[in-house]
Amino acid sequence: MFNKLTENSESRNSLQIMAKNLNTVFMISTMDHEYIIKIVQGLVAEVKIGPFVMPNYEFKLTASKDEWNKFLKVIPIPGSHDLIALLRRKVLQIDGNLHPLMSHLLYFKLLLASLRPSEKF
Amino acid sequence: MKIKMEPITGRYGNFNIDGVNHRIYWEEAGEGIPLVCLHTAGSDGRQYRALLNDEKILKNFRVIVYDMPWHGKSSPPQGSKVGHYQLSTKSYVSQILGFIDGLELIKPVVMGCSIGGRVILHLASDHKEKFRALIGLQSAGHLDPYYDIDWLHRQDVHGGEICGAIAYGLMAPTSPEEERFETMWHYMQGGPGIFKGDLFFYKFDGNIGDKVKQIDNSKCPIYLLTGEYDYSATPEETKILADTIGVDMVKMKNVGHFPMSENPKEFLKYLYPVLNKII
Repeated sequence: MFNKLTENSESRNSLQIMAKNLNTVFMISTMDHEYIIKIVQGLVAEVKIGPFVMPNYEFKLTASKDEWNKFLKVIPIPGSHDLIALLRRKVLQIDGNLHPLMSHLLYFKLLLASLRPSEKF
Repeated sequence: MKIKMEPITGRYGNFNIDGVNHRIYWEEAGEGIPLVCLHTAGSDGRQYRALLNDEKILKNFRVIVYDMPWHGKSSPPQGSKVGHYQLSTKSYVSQILGFIDGLELIKPVVMGCSIGGRVILHLASDHKEKFRALIGLQSAGHLDPYYDIDWLHRQDVHGGEICGAIAYGLMAPTSPEEERFETMWHYMQGGPGIFKGDLFFYKFDGNIGDKVKQIDNSKCPIYLLTGEYDYSATPEETKILADTIGVDMVKMKNVGHFPMSENPKEFLKYLYPVLNKII
């Protein structure tokens, strides 16, 4: 699901300008699967797929596979269209050191939305 | 080269609000029934740029949009200091009444969005005799915090970036990207701590509580419209409010928290019938 973040995409690469000083590692959990995503200077450098024995990351986004699928629709329904919308419905949990996420919130929103079919920025 | 001139004029005025001088900027266009528009938390009057340019509305309404103190081109009140801004119900109501009195507007219509959609409930409860009608966009009686608003004002997080990111998500993915960008940009230009200071009213002090039961719709008509993509003041919450007051509400398709700014074309389809009832 999230391993496609490493695929080269013009729209995704264009996000780098929003996060060129960002270096972080974060986890996305679908409850069934875990992904560790490494960001280097605003680009997705690596996505590792779990299970992990001793995962090391700064923050973690957890939602069910069903919720992530709804988020990733071409046109998501109301309440599934934004990370904070998921938080509002209490279907997303965010843990860890939130500073990298909150200081680059638009970048992360658009990065994940870049997995939607035909998404352009 | 000839430019396309808009019908909007902007002016500054000095208003005495609660004994303090406030230098306030407002824009207006049109003639007829005064229609005072209130912008959302952390933004400014540019959100109503489409209304101020809409020929149909301007034939019957004098559309007036002011920037709240600390927002847009309005100055902080005399004697202000950085880091102390907090919007209270009392100060918000005083500022609206002070602005209306200052311009000597008689029985205006007031339309507010988000915090503006909340404050019209206080106006309806406590000052209904002053208004011809009240329009609430994205109105809800109260809002429980669903994220930590301290992130909106920290020295280690760029205020413009975080406020813009929060606003961006509140819009519908179906709204035109150009309008969404402009709406986000207004948020990116807000002063430090101002969005957070406005949210003190929205999330805490401005909760209407049981006072909502005192609202008498027969004395001053109230209209409620809410975008389906708004997860801050959801259509379900507006419905609860509407049922309590005893009015209908309209759920607007394909718009989110900033209907007049993120998708004006869609929003105006819903607003015209409301304004026609008011004329």
